[in-house]
Amino acid sequence: MTKVLMKGNEALGEAAVRAGCRHFFGYPITPQTEIPEYLVKRLPQVGGVFVQAESEVASINMVMGAAGMGIRCMTSSSSPGISLMAEGVSYIAACELPCVIINMMRAGPGLGGILPAQSDYFQATRGHGHGDYQVIVLAPSSVQEAVDLMTLAFELAETYRNPVMVCADGMIGQMMEPVEFAGEPDALPPNEMGGDDWALGVREGRKRRIVNSLYLSPDELNEHNLKLKAKYDDIAAKETRHELYGPEGDAEGGGGYDLLLVAFGTMARICKTAIDDVRAEGLRAALFRPITLNPFPFADLRRAMDAIEGDGAVFDVEMSMGQMVYDVKLAAEGTRRIEFHGTAGGVVPSPDEVAQKIREILGAAPA
Amino acid sequence: MGDIHIAEERCKGCGLCIDACPRGLISFAEDLNEKGYTYVEFTGDLEQCTGCTLCATACPDQGIEVWNKRGKQTFENTTGLTERMSHYCPGCTHGIIHRITAECLQELGLLDRTVGVAPVGCSVLAYEYFNVDMFEAAHGRAPAVATGAKRARPECIVFTYQGDGDLCSIGGNEILHAANRGEKITVIFVNNAIYGMTGGQMAPTTLPGQRTSTSPDGRDIEATGHPINMAELLATLSTPAYIARGSSHDPQHVLKTKKMIKKAFEHQASGTCFSFVEVLSTCPTNWGLAPQESGDWVRDHMIPQYPLGVIKQPESVS
Repeated sequence: MTKVLMKGNEALGEAAVRAGCRHFFGYPITPQTEIPEYLVKRLPQVGGVFVQAESEVASINMVMGAAGMGIRCMTSSSSPGISLMAEGVSYIAACELPCVIINMMRAGPGLGGILPAQSDYFQATRGHGHGDYQVIVLAPSSVQEAVDLMTLAFELAETYRNPVMVCADGMIGQMMEPVEFAGEPDALPPNEMGGDDWALGVREGRKRRIVNSLYLSPDELNEHNLKLKAKYDDIAAKETRHELYGPEGDAEGGGGYDLLLVAFGTMARICKTAIDDVRAEGLRAALFRPITLNPFPFADLRRAMDAIEGDGAVFDVEMSMGQMVYDVKLAAEGTRRIEFHGTAGGVVPSPDEVAQKIREILGAAPA
Repeated sequence: MGDIHIAEERCKGCGLCIDACPRGLISFAEDLNEKGYTYVEFTGDLEQCTGCTLCATACPDQGIEVWNKRGKQTFENTTGLTERMSHYCPGCTHGIIHRITAECLQELGLLDRTVGVAPVGCSVLAYEYFNVDMFEAAHGRAPAVATGAKRARPECIVFTYQGDGDLCSIGGNEILHAANRGEKITVIFVNNAIYGMTGGQMAPTTLPGQRTSTSPDGRDIEATGHPINMAELLATLSTPAYIARGSSHDPQHVLKTKKMIKKAFEHQASGTCFSFVEVLSTCPTNWGLAPQESGDWVRDHMIPQYPLGVIKQPESVS
């Protein structure tokens, strides 16, 4: 396979097509607009459908309509637009329909700014609409990983009949990197999701079906929630993904670091550079990078924490005022000191800034 | 001599059939049925029944079937609806609009490939009644769900069934843009000038001066604006469309409205254009009127505000 140089947003669009998605419904918003701009040209080449909706509210409901018919589909947006989709995602999750949503996070709150941020972690991982539901959340830290996770996103959505969010930040969407795609551009998988026993459409004599989230009986609605909960538990047991970077030897089995950083997405990438820098100075830091933000890899993080030498600390770094850090604290259950550094508003911490914080925490002299 | 069969157990005692019968052959029974309604029964001279079917046409509850004097069944309950009793209040014409919509789909042979989208509002449970695949959408979003469904499977007939709060208020944007894109879907818009399910609040379609629980002194157009004529508003769009308004307040208008709905589905089936039929309907409960009086209120107050007829059709058909 050959590598091509592509902008993150465009690469995500191509990755969706390669994954067999031929139906896109979306609304322009910076910094993700290159996704619809790419797909409006690409989808007609493969017999696909592109609809520019009147709003994100409409986009996500169009996705519900197409998904309910058993057709692989997606939408993309950025933070304020994702807020508008909250209602629709709740309905889609309640109806157990598969779909993929890209959130190219930008800075908030309110209209905020168009620069990269990670301040929608709570929104993404706590099921941002009403009701007890969850969305599977994947957090790439490079354009290549974003491409790879798109395939996984559709697979997970269809396996569990649940919305999956690819939660990146504006940096991933806007930067260009060499990427390679699995599969052939002109030998795409079918866009049927295998909804033989649940999708609506031409009946051909079968019993009629209903895609619905209304349960007027409390007992039935309780049962429905228990069923969803069992599914989320199953997802949590099977689908957590993470990366451990920088330990000496087999960290899972025994240490090699005095400080464990925790970061995701673009921030994790910056932390890797900082770790490389401080390790050159003899400081032993490692990074735990959750790839699934939901389900959060609690057990894996705890094992990585338990492997920290002595009473070494955990250092959570985010492009937010501290959101994932709550999950990091949950994983630690009070067993480790948790340090935090965060920026907001589109300010991206530099590797030097992170390295300096590492030195401070480890009591080392400034470089 | 014709024959009619009244399903006593389906009767909610609204009496619309009593008014509809030109010969006064139906009247209320002395007893209550199992659900506690004063049901109707055929009390006249069967020789006088012509099998005209107006009683069945007026019935919102699939409660009457009719045979003519040659023994031919002239009114048969549609297979486009399930047998489930509706939850609608006695005399509410939602049931009639459900029925004529289902009859059109059945007569056009489309039931097997139709997907409906139910709204939020009184007709939220429409998915229980239409005997086709159904979505239940979020409040106002049915045209967006229908857009996604139709774009995914163009071979399906996709319709939404929406009330005035759902379509005209919270879903104003979705309907406007679905119409403007010319989505090949059919929209059945039921306008009873009030929010029914939540207990009778002011809708965008509420008439000036009309009392509701949120316009207790009558709708003040200075503060709340004028009623929105949705059909005319959508007809201003340049995109080709079939747009019509009918009424469900008496059997004659029900039959005319059915023709509009059939035309709407025909336009979708041939891929011609977006189609939209607004149907004036009653809300006896929240209007505080008897079913028969509600029909009169539609005739005397709603139709002057919401004129009936075909408002727009694609140029090739005109």
